[in-house]
Amino acid sequence: MKVGDVFSYAFGAIRLRKLRAGLTTLGVVIGIAAIVALLSISQGLQVTITDQLQSGFVTDALIVSTGGGTAFGPGSGLVTETDFALLVNDTLIINEIEGVATSMPIIQQVGYVNSSERTAVSYVMGIDFAKYADIYSSTFVAEKGNIPLNPENDTVVVGKRVSDPWKNGTLFCDVNDAVEIRWVNATVRPPKNETYSAQVVAVLEAVGGFSFVGPSDSAVYIPISQAQSFFGTDEVDSIIVKLTSDDEATIDRVSEAIEEKFSDQVSVTSSSAVLSIVSSVFSTIELFLAGIAAISLLVAGVGIMNIMIVSLMERTREIGILKALGMKSRTVLAIFISEAVIVGLLGATFGIGLGWVLANVAATIFTGGGFAVAGEQGTVGGEFAITPVITPTVLLGAFGFGIAVSVIFAIYPAWRASKLKPVEALRYE
Amino acid sequence: MVLATPVVETADLKKTYILGKVPVNALRGVNLKVEKGDFLAILGPSGSGKSTLLNMIGALDKPTEGKVFINGVDVSTLNDNQLADLRRSIGFVFQFFNLIPRLNARGNVELPMAVSGLGKNERRKHAEELLETVGLKERMKHKPAELSGGERQRVAIARALANNPEFLLMDEPTGNIDSKTAKEIIRLVKRLNKDEGVTIIMITHDQQLATQAKRIVKMLDGSIIKEIDQL
Repeated sequence: MKVGDVFSYAFGAIRLRKLRAGLTTLGVVIGIAAIVALLSISQGLQVTITDQLQSGFVTDALIVSTGGGTAFGPGSGLVTETDFALLVNDTLIINEIEGVATSMPIIQQVGYVNSSERTAVSYVMGIDFAKYADIYSSTFVAEKGNIPLNPENDTVVVGKRVSDPWKNGTLFCDVNDAVEIRWVNATVRPPKNETYSAQVVAVLEAVGGFSFVGPSDSAVYIPISQAQSFFGTDEVDSIIVKLTSDDEATIDRVSEAIEEKFSDQVSVTSSSAVLSIVSSVFSTIELFLAGIAAISLLVAGVGIMNIMIVSLMERTREIGILKALGMKSRTVLAIFISEAVIVGLLGATFGIGLGWVLANVAATIFTGGGFAVAGEQGTVGGEFAITPVITPTVLLGAFGFGIAVSVIFAIYPAWRASKLKPVEALRYE
Repeated sequence: MVLATPVVETADLKKTYILGKVPVNALRGVNLKVEKGDFLAILGPSGSGKSTLLNMIGALDKPTEGKVFINGVDVSTLNDNQLADLRRSIGFVFQFFNLIPRLNARGNVELPMAVSGLGKNERRKHAEELLETVGLKERMKHKPAELSGGERQRVAIARALANNPEFLLMDEPTGNIDSKTAKEIIRLVKRLNKDEGVTIIMITHDQQLATQAKRIVKMLDGSIIKEIDQL
């Protein structure tokens, strides 16, 4: 029997049982849609996060922080408890290393900024304005006012979103405004509010995204010396190291040298390392999501098998007739497999379409609902748009998987159909 | 005189079924020879083993002992694929028609040709010719459910003729239709035998019907008890 005739016969059999075939296909549609939707959203999310990370990135800088794996800085919950602390003066040790252009400590606390009427929660970052502006020359740039290179202790530079959180003309604070900076000192009992008055000297240009140690729209920046006295500590959260070159060799060599100087009690992170962490985290997430979705597809597969076994009983006589007409066992097998291929093909096609629609609907809901990434700078709600991404791999994978599952679960019933003895099949009532 | 190879020949054919734990001897050594152009009726009451014999001759089942030759080929030496090929040279007509309900008359007649790998145009043309032969050209686009019993059986006969078979194997072809229609069917069968030279083996329990054949073989309890030549 010709391949075309096999398919046309199979298609006729499917058309005869439209509702049943439709429901069987629906199982595949749901499974494939789940896979496509979850993967395209997660890939879209990865693209968004990577883009946003990269927007504040400098490739020739390293971040030194205490403990292992503190890539996302304090507050990420990744800091290992040790007695070791990086101090402001540790920059001197780092500066001696060959390949280091300069380094700069950051003291960081979650604090409050009070303007005349309102209070905002924000990261208060103690930095060296001159060096920070040098390292992040493209993002630590004033939109309004000027960033002083030798700041007075009571100066403060604010991120764009701190100044203009609502985007409706009303500003939380502007250049030359006086603000009160406050943090809750929990090292004393009872915890005590520490405050001082500062003057806004500059509002940063919008950086976009959520930056990694680099300038952020939702942080306020105060001079490092002020931070030392205000927070009462010389311990720093991280030290940013500017390198003389951004090639891999320099990055690796300096990273190793720094770790060695501090007896492996610090971790050194480069921008590329962060990206690779993000990418590996997403790979794991995608695998997990795909796994969950795949389970639903397997359930659909069991449904296909179930339906085919039932339909096999109904069609026993038909198979007997076909065999009496001289049809070979392998052709009977091919007919049943073709039915599964058609179901898989339809299911995968509609599933991919539905998945894509679902992904876009979900992305719109996330974006429109002010979906905030609870990242390090997530205290001020982020503007965060996910555009679902569907890669050819996902497309072809979903397609192949849909058909493969349908076919695999059809093999057993199809094999049983092909093995029916004609004389018994013809006798079947 | 050189004798042509018989279309069907059985040699001491035996078939034993195990029903539950009891062996049932359905055939107890059947010797039968059907020459080309023959019209043979196998007559017997139910349980006489005639259906079992039909299954053997139709290459639908294998004997326990003895041999079946179809066109000189020993059926027991064939594997499943070869048996399938062999069945294409046999035209089956069943008591309950056994048409595929979702295919129309023409589709049903085309089916064996599609199984044989014939192209669409060719088989469509041949199917229409065959339906004309059995007098159903006007109804070829009707599905079995829209046809009467007699019409269905005529479609089944057209289907059986589709691959130009060596012989027609008919199992109670009029068993499920009224007597008037049955007469028409038997007239058609006789015409095919006489005019087209189609070899026919017909199984029936109907004495009246059997008398229409050229030759009658009477069966009882798995054995041939009598052969009547009506020529």
